[in-house]
Formats: sequence, structure tokens, C-alpha cells
Amino acid sequence: MAESWGMVIDLDKCTGCQACVVACQSENNIPINDEGLFNQRRAIEWIRIERYWEGEFPDVKARFIPILCQHCADAPCEPVCPVFATYHNNEGLNVQVYNRCIGTRFCANGCPYHVRFFNFWEPEWPDSLKNQLNPDVTVRSRGIMEKCTFCVQRIRRTGRKAAQAGIDKSDAELERGLNPACVNACPTQTLEFGDMIDVLTAVKEGTRLPDEPKSKAGAKVKKELEEDGGRGYRLREQLGTNPSVVYLRKVDEHRKEVVTHG
Amino acid sequence: MALTRRQFLTLTGGATAAPIIFLACGVPAEELLVEAPLEMPEDLVSGLDNWYATLCRQCGTSEGVVVRVMEGRAKKVEGNLDYPVNMGKHSARCEGGLQDLYHPDRIKGPLLRSGERGTGQYEEVSWTDALGRLNLQLSQLQSSRNQNSMVLVTNPIGGHLGMIAETFASKFGGRYMPYEPVERTNLKAAIKQVFGQDRIPDFEIENANYVLSFGADFLNTWVSPTRYARGYGEFRQGDRERGTLVHVDSRFSMTGANADSWIHVKPGMEGILALSIAHVIIKDGLADPAAAQALTGGSNLEEFAPESVAAKTGVSAETIEQVAHDFAGHKPAIALGGGSAGAHTNGLFNLTAIYSLNYLVGSVGQPGGVVFNPAPPLSEIANAPSSSSYQDWADLVNDMRSGDVGLMMVRGADPMHGLPGTLGFRDASYDVPVIVSFSNIMDDTTAMADIVLPEHNSFEDWGTDTPDAGPGYEIVGFQQPVVRPFFEGRGEHLGTRGFADILLAAAQGLSLDLGLAGETYKDILQGSAEKLFALNRGSVRAGDFKSFWNGMLQRGGWWDVNAKASGGVPAPQRLPEAEEPRFDPAIPGRFNFHLSPFSSTGIGEGQGAHIPWLQATPDPITSATWLTWVEINIRIAEDLDLREGDVVRVTSPRGSIEALAYPHPGIPPDVVAIPMGQGHVAGGRYAEGRGANVFSILSDLTDESTGALAWSATRVGIEKLDKWIRLPKFENSVPDPPEDEEGLVIEVTSDDS
Repeated sequence: MAESWGMVIDLDKCTGCQACVVACQSENNIPINDEGLFNQRRAIEWIRIERYWEGEFPDVKARFIPILCQHCADAPCEPVCPVFATYHNNEGLNVQVYNRCIGTRFCANGCPYHVRFFNFWEPEWPDSLKNQLNPDVTVRSRGIMEKCTFCVQRIRRTGRKAAQAGIDKSDAELERGLNPACVNACPTQTLEFGDMIDVLTAVKEGTRLPDEPKSKAGAKVKKELEEDGGRGYRLREQLGTNPSVVYLRKVDEHRKEVVTHG
Repeated sequence: MALTRRQFLTLTGGATAAPIIFLACGVPAEELLVEAPLEMPEDLVSGLDNWYATLCRQCGTSEGVVVRVMEGRAKKVEGNLDYPVNMGKHSARCEGGLQDLYHPDRIKGPLLRSGERGTGQYEEVSWTDALGRLNLQLSQLQSSRNQNSMVLVTNPIGGHLGMIAETFASKFGGRYMPYEPVERTNLKAAIKQVFGQDRIPDFEIENANYVLSFGADFLNTWVSPTRYARGYGEFRQGDRERGTLVHVDSRFSMTGANADSWIHVKPGMEGILALSIAHVIIKDGLADPAAAQALTGGSNLEEFAPESVAAKTGVSAETIEQVAHDFAGHKPAIALGGGSAGAHTNGLFNLTAIYSLNYLVGSVGQPGGVVFNPAPPLSEIANAPSSSSYQDWADLVNDMRSGDVGLMMVRGADPMHGLPGTLGFRDASYDVPVIVSFSNIMDDTTAMADIVLPEHNSFEDWGTDTPDAGPGYEIVGFQQPVVRPFFEGRGEHLGTRGFADILLAAAQGLSLDLGLAGETYKDILQGSAEKLFALNRGSVRAGDFKSFWNGMLQRGGWWDVNAKASGGVPAPQRLPEAEEPRFDPAIPGRFNFHLSPFSSTGIGEGQGAHIPWLQATPDPITSATWLTWVEINIRIAEDLDLREGDVVRVTSPRGSIEALAYPHPGIPPDVVAIPMGQGHVAGGRYAEGRGANVFSILSDLTDESTGALAWSATRVGIEKLDKWIRLPKFENSVPDPPEDEEGLVIEVTSDDS
């Protein structure tokens, strides 16, 4: 059976330190976000940290949430693409095919998470900085859409290694190579990645969760979704997108009930 | 080319026939898949990659990293899973090492000043020529018996590099001055006074139940943030009960945002608050009696009763009682302090009082508490890295002015940018006949240099580090070159060299015996590695030295988890006399604020300003990038009619800078905060002329007991200018989520499952 990759994000651990953001930029050849791009609101961050204020001095809180492509099983971005540039592959990834994309930006309009970024300009690097570019990742040209891939190049590379060694690519030995760059960087281990096909399928179909989920990340999701008072939830689940990313609620001892930021 | 009708038909016929013939022959489906347009280059087999373990030297505490190298080029940095300090994790700044390596404005080879000093006119010279000139300068000082007028400035470096720099300076007879923009003088002095330790201890956050931090933004920038964040993750949602973090600060920092409670204290009152907490713990019988007796000499610190200090500290008596009881009631508990708490005229007192709290709850030397770091088992690098205090720099500036400094050599430090403007270091540097820089970026200090001898990037060089703070046991991190030097063999005058090798060559030219075993830096490191090999214990053991050396480089160093600090728990010392902070006088007729400068997440105190990724790293709280902003309370901003992006002039008695207003819901009304690190006059295309340098308006008040700069003691006025510049920030880059009944983003629960 093929995999369905998923991620668990524990908001109680996230400190907002931005390590994931920079790790992603380095791995995925994201163009330099210069001052002008920020001002035009065109900066590209496949994973970003959103910060929400709660209250005001002296009773103030700031809360952080990492947001990346949720790789929805029923992704609103997919059916709107006239050229099939974005589609769902058999590993549960929402894939963007750059050489098909014609830049209609319908997908970005459809995405309720705002994780799709359009290349308004040709990406530019000074020549010497091009030495750092990752040869496993395409540099996207002007006029096409890009977004988080769950570092598909790492999944592919690990798959080849696993095939050579005759083991499964979810093998614990290969975990570091399989993990997206953000997961390996995250100092607090907020982000966890793994094959969650069994768990995600059960959640989607409303059936009983598997007794022994395939991956550590899956086991964590099962625990947090099943237990009374478990902290699992998915972003904008009510839209029926069936995301592959499961968030765990932030814990705040001083709160009496569940509060939300929208 | 013209086609005949016959040629055209032949060609099109052939082209359409080919796939049909292939299909008919039964080509396996998988083979056609490879050609399918869905497969992207990501899916195609590419070259082999190699991962080499080394150290990241972008911040003060080195992290162990592995670097992905393909075809001789470094591609990606990841944390080294084995390395005890960061255990597989890494910070945003580590990644920046790659852009430092391939920086477009990197200095390609030795330079000699050809125009007026500071005009940036240089000519390229050969290494032989450049080293010859350095040696000429040094030997002139020698022959005029004026060796003491040589000053060698570096960043605080542990391991062999620091040792070689110090040895070179002392054998030559000159002065060695390690420089850091945010000095740890008070922190080190407090650690020494309270615990009798030269090294910063390890805080076992992962095993603690309660962390009480004062001023130290330890999850973001303070001492070893990746290590502390790793512990913090476990502390929050590990196998044990969820820990509680209380952060006391005069500014709403990232650590404050992550704390369960952020307690706002008046600037400089952290120590008095700590004594009040101590009073409650002792009064209510929650303290370790022996420790309480030793700390207070039998008094119960009555004068610091919560009611008496509430007004002074700005923290209510109930809150003090509550924190004291929680702190003493949730062991193991850690009290730590630093950052702005130690950056007042009473900084040493503040930190001493804070760290002494650990004795009252029995956390010293305990798991989940404050664990001491032993010296590494190599006598040559046993000393912890030190740094010079502000007072030392003030003395140096006087010497520069009076012509007592003949030669200044600077490596890995940018004092022209980081020393407070009021000191006049830049002006005084015109009185220094020769300045030599080893930087590979034209930073503010290098732009004033006469000779530039660019050193390797850390990914091109050898090295060691004894991290301060370490992981609680003996460790020697090893750094190896992961790529060939970038400019090697690119031209007669191009190329960089290792700093240690430059010093060794200079010593050889002067016939100076440094007393080091080895001709080159690598030889010296191997000599020390042989001593580690002979110990036959720890993380790497091998039958012969060659396998040991290789094994150690593969793992990124040597450590021994069983070799912990000896000596047990030191006896607590009497608490110091309470001391209140002094500030610059208020500027009459202006709205007055306490200025709280802070280290930036990306660019630190300016060390990362030339790196575009780090410039573009959003500040966690404001999400601002690239420029300098001033955080001002949202209500005060309303009163002053300030919107985000309004340019304001921030004036202290020492000068003024312009920055963009950021109305901030969290910052106290009497404080404004400005990030450090911008406002370079040089530094390459990404740093030059960008934002404003907050160091230029700092007060020169010091903590008189240590000579440390009180960089949080400045008072400023704010004045709105008739100008608006959009603040480049990530917030609102994506549209607000559509409003709906259940439009939830972050969900919060009080329940910890």
C-alpha cells in the first residue's frame, strides 16, 4: 500500500523561533525575500509562523502557529486547475507540476490556508549564491505557482535508498532523510512527520482508528484524537478539506475554556 | 532550411509512427512513466550527496551540524544528531553560514588600503606581500620595544583558536581583547560569585518542573537558544507533567510570549524582586534552611517583604507571593537571569540575587536544576572563553587617543559598529597607525582597516570548540573543512586562509616561539586529539589514532557523558547588598521612555546583517524584517498619533536615530524597544546603510563593580517626523482568514492530556 504523508504540529511546543522557515528556504531554493517583496506582500514562505495577539498590556499573550500546505485529501486547489498542474498523488501529497502551470492562480484563490505563492518575478540570486542551490529542487520561473511539497525530493531520495537497502522507507533508520527540512530543524520538536495513511483514512471515513498506527506521528495523532480531552484538531476542518496536518492545541493553565483565534 | 513536400511527409510520418511501433512492441508501463510529464526533476535520480559533521560558528555557542555537500558545494546545514549541545536541531542562524560562504561581496583575497582611511579604496595584493607587511609592522613594534601597543581583538572564541590568539598576543607582548557586543561580563561574574564556576552552567530545562527566568530571552537569543528550546519542548510536552515557565522582564520578548505568565517588572528591579521572592520562600518555611542561613546570615530579608517592594518593582504583592510559592513548590525549579536584567548599573547585583534563588529550592547540581560544566580534559584549552568589559574598551580608547596603540588586529568582531557611539571608538581609530582585519566581509571595522587578510569561512577551516554553556559534561567539538576554500586557485592574488594559520605564519616570520606542538593549525589539533585518544574513554574509542581521528570527525567531536563536574555543591555565599539601578537623567520637556535594546532573532547583534536569509527572517513578535523599528505601547502610540511605519526620531542624551514606529500591544507604556544589528556603514549589499544602529545612542553608564556596560540604562525621547515608510513585515502578507462562525486558527485549552 502506498503512503499518505502527514504532519503533527504541537502548538504547546512552538516558540515561534523561525528555524523551520529558514531551513525551508535553504532546502527549497526559495528566492531571497528582499525588502520590496515584503512591502508588496509577495514574500514567499512555504512554511510561516503566524502570530496572534490576545489582550493588551499588562494582560497580554502572543501565540504562534506554523502554517504550511495542509496537503488536504479533498484539496480545494486541485479541481480548479484547468491544466492539472496541481493534483493529488498516490502518496497523499498535493503536488504542483511546475511545467504544467500556466499561472491562472485559481488554486491560490481556492486555498483556505493561503499557502500557495505566485512567482510575480523571475527569481534572482547573485551568481555566487547560486552555488548553494539545491540540485534536487527546481528553481521556479516567473508566472507559476509554488508551495510546500513536504520536501518530496527527500521522500524520493529516501525511497531510492530504501529500495537499494531492501527496507521500507518509513524505517526509523531513514527518518532523518525522510523528514522535511523544517521538521529536522525545529529545536523544540514541535513538528513531526510520518506516514499516516491508516490514521488519516480512518479519520476521513469516520471509522475506528487503527490499533497500532504505522508511524510515531500517526500514534501521536491517534492518542490526541481518541483520548478524552485530547488536543488534536485540524485547521478549518469544517470546510471539508480533510487536511493531512493535525494540530495539537496550545495549553494555557490560566484559561478556563477553549479559546480560539481567527 | 527549406523543406520539400516529400521531406515533410517523411518526417511527420516517422514521428507519428514511432510511438505506435513502441506501443506495439510492448514497452513496459514503468518505462513510459519516466517520460510522463508529471514526473518533475525532483523525482529524477540526481548526484550523490555527502554529509560532513562540523561546527557552526555563526553564534557564540557553537552548534554541531552536518553539512550536505554535492560536487564540492555546500548545500544545506542540519543539526548533528550526536552533538550534545543541540542534538540534531539547529537555529535559523546556522543556515546562514551557507550564505556567508557564498556571499557575493565576500572578500576574495588580501587587500591593501590605497586611498584615505574609510573611503573603501583598496588594491589587491598577494598573500606573500600582505603577510610581509603584517610582519613588517609587528617587527617594527618589536625593534622599538613597543610590543604592548599591539592589540589583538577577536570575538570570544573557545577551543584552540582562542588559545592560539591569546598565546600569540601574550608571547608577542601585546594585548588580547575578546569583544562581544552584548557582553557577558556581569553574567560570568555572577556565576563566579554565586556558584564559584568559570563556565556558564547547564540549565536542565527538560527535567525541570518550573522555570523562573529574569530578562533572559533564552528561547530566542540568549547563550544557547537551540539547546534551551530542545529542553523546552520536553518541558512542555514530554513524558512528565507539563512544566510552568514564568518570565520576568521589562519587555515583552519571545520568551515572555511563550511563558505561562509574563511578569512585567520595572527596568533594573529584577534583583530586588528576586530578594522579595527569597523573603517569601524563607518566611513561609519553604526554603532549604542551611542555604537560607548561609545566604542571609539568619535574617529573613524583612525589608524586601512583598508589600514594601511592590511599588518599587511594579509587581503586586500577591503576584510575588504566588510566584514564590509556585517556585518553591514545584521542584525541581530553575531560576536564571541575563539579558536586560544584567544590563543595568546594578546588573551584577540583579544576577547574583536571581541565581542565588536556586540554593533556596535545592536546585544546584541536581537533575532538572543548575548543572555545572567541567573544563575539557585538555589543559591547553581548559580556560573558558572570556571577554573584555566596556571599561576595558574605554581604557583602550584613551590609549588609542594618546597614541599608545600602534597596531590593532581585528578578527570576527565589529567594534566600530557595536561599541556605543558615545565612546568615540571610530574617531579614536584614526589615531591608530595600522589596523589589520581578518574579516571576509567588508564590515564597519574592516572598512577602516589598512591591511585586510581575509580568513576562511568556518566551513572551509579546521577548529575546535568547548561550548560555553556546555551540556553538563566534558566536551570538545571538532570542526573540519567540508568544502575546499572557495577562492582557492582562482587567481594569483585570490584566496583566503585560516586565521590560526595566519597567526602561526606571522609568529614564524618573527621567530616567535608560541610553544605549540605543531607547524600548522591542523597539526596542533591532531596533537590534542592524540591526548583525547590516550584517555580511552568517552564517545569515540578506537584501536589506533587514525581510526580515532576519523571517528571523531565523523561524529563532530569528543565527549564523555560520565565526566561531569566534580567538587559537589559549593557553599552558598552571602547575598550582596541590594542596589537600585541608575539611569541617564530624563530629557526635560520630552516624553521619556526606558530604552530596551534587544538581540535580533536573525541578525543577532549585527553578526548576521550581511546574510540575506537572516535579514529576511521575521522577528517572531512583530514579524518585521530588513529595517529597524521601535516597539511602542499601542495606547501611547495613540496618544502620540503614531501609526505603524511613521518615522520617529529616538533621542537619547548621546545622540539620536530614526526608526519606524511599531505600535505593540505587549510592551509596557514606559518602555520602548529597538532591535540591535542594523545601521551598518559598510557590510556588503545586504547590510550597508540599512536601518539604524541602536548602539550609537546608548548611554555609557556601567556597572561599577565589573565595568560592564549598562546597555539597558538609556532613557530616550520619541518625536514624530513627517515621514512614513512601509515596515517590511510578514504579517498580513497573506489575507486575513475569511470570517465564519468557526474560523479557528489557534485553539487553546486549559487541559493537558
